[in-house]
Amino acid sequence: MTKDVVLSPLARADGSASCTSNGYSVIAAVNGPVEVQRRDEIPEESAIDVVLRPAIGVGGVRERHLESIIEKTLRQVILVSAHPRTLIQITLQVVAAPVDSNASNNLHQSASNLSLLPILLQSSMLALLSTSLPLTMTFTSTLIAVSRSGELVRKASVKALKEAASLHVLAFSSLGELLLAESEGAFDVDIWDQVYRWAEKDCRKSDLGDPTQTDDVDMDLSKPGSLEDSLRSIIEEKAAREYRWKES
Amino acid sequence: MPGQVLSEDVLPVPHKSSMPLKLGPGLRHAPPSTITTSLAGPLCIDRKKNAIWVENNSGRYIPQTNDVIIATVHHSSTDWYHCSITPYTTFAQLPQLAFEGATKKTRPQLTSGGLIYARVVAASKHLDPEIACYNPSTGKSEGLGELKGGMVFDISLGMARRLLLNKQREEGKLVILEDIAEQVAFEIAVGRNGKVWISANGVKETLLVGKALQTVDEEVLNVDEQKKLAKKLLRQV
Repeated sequence: MTKDVVLSPLARADGSASCTSNGYSVIAAVNGPVEVQRRDEIPEESAIDVVLRPAIGVGGVRERHLESIIEKTLRQVILVSAHPRTLIQITLQVVAAPVDSNASNNLHQSASNLSLLPILLQSSMLALLSTSLPLTMTFTSTLIAVSRSGELVRKASVKALKEAASLHVLAFSSLGELLLAESEGAFDVDIWDQVYRWAEKDCRKSDLGDPTQTDDVDMDLSKPGSLEDSLRSIIEEKAAREYRWKES
Repeated sequence: MPGQVLSEDVLPVPHKSSMPLKLGPGLRHAPPSTITTSLAGPLCIDRKKNAIWVENNSGRYIPQTNDVIIATVHHSSTDWYHCSITPYTTFAQLPQLAFEGATKKTRPQLTSGGLIYARVVAASKHLDPEIACYNPSTGKSEGLGELKGGMVFDISLGMARRLLLNKQREEGKLVILEDIAEQVAFEIAVGRNGKVWISANGVKETLLVGKALQTVDEEVLNVDEQKKLAKKLLRQV
């Protein structure tokens, strides 16, 4: 998922990231902590404002729904007590969505609400890391589709998403906790358990080594590692670039 | 990475047991003895000072007491100037008498949009920051005050910290300013909020110094590359 990632593509935002995956492309920008409107002010915490703009047209109910899911997830991750009475604004712009070839008369941009959610979460996480806002943890998220025959599919195509019996978006924090579970369609508990195991395998670090070990040189991006590993290597790359001057 | 718990063997061991461990930005202490990170970046340890922190370069400036900053005057009221340190944050308060030798009758007249070089006197997450242009213990300005002429350039927070180091050359690995200063005379003021003010004899020289600093910052040039850049730029003067 995090194969095509650019950190801080926007110069004027406090932090930004753009992600491309599975046909979707999203730019996330974070501004904060900034002054908050009086009616949104929270005395002991910072308010989090998520703005989601679709690839075509203006946002509607679908976007508001996704915004509220993202806001609730990020509130767990950002250290909201560190900047009371401020606003952290996260703007997510969908740049490209996969084209549905046989949906010429379809007014809906996509069959499902959930297919966009993992990349939105992923890009907002990266933008937050690029902003250097204090966080309690990091998280990764993934989408798993269950086909009508009961097979689990990672990275499902548009067609597979349409034909799927159920869709599941799960997010795991770096502490190993389930942070978000959104499901759509018909499924039973056994399938959900299976989805949970798949998603955990996708997201979580493959081996929990010594966290202080910083010289993981053998971490290779081309190797199909977990999402958490690739998140870490993106940040390591950023740090290596920023502190190049120290070496000489 | 945020959320990691630091194991005890990375923490510096003090020479004297009375010396407390100092936690810098990016680290949180959860009693009794757990230290977790809250920022992503390389972990730095100063064994002499018994301090530990997470280095980071980006983001928005959060005012801290005793930082020198470059602020813009937004408007003034009877006793205060309201200054903007970073855009879209609450204004910092600058008392109109917080200047060297200022009295009720001889107070400096600052118009909105004017630049000031000031020190953060009080900063708390619950209050608006307060800044001053003099040292309250001596009453001297110590270089702080209104910045007249010149231009302001934006740089990253990490670069601003490097420029403010005592040993810019040894610790910050910055040689560009010294190299340029051999041929071009200029004045410089660096604010911790990622702003640098430069004033030289002409606009051309001012832009040269400012652009040089921004290039060094954006492209993360090392010492040799900085020397090359300085040579190239000075040839154009």
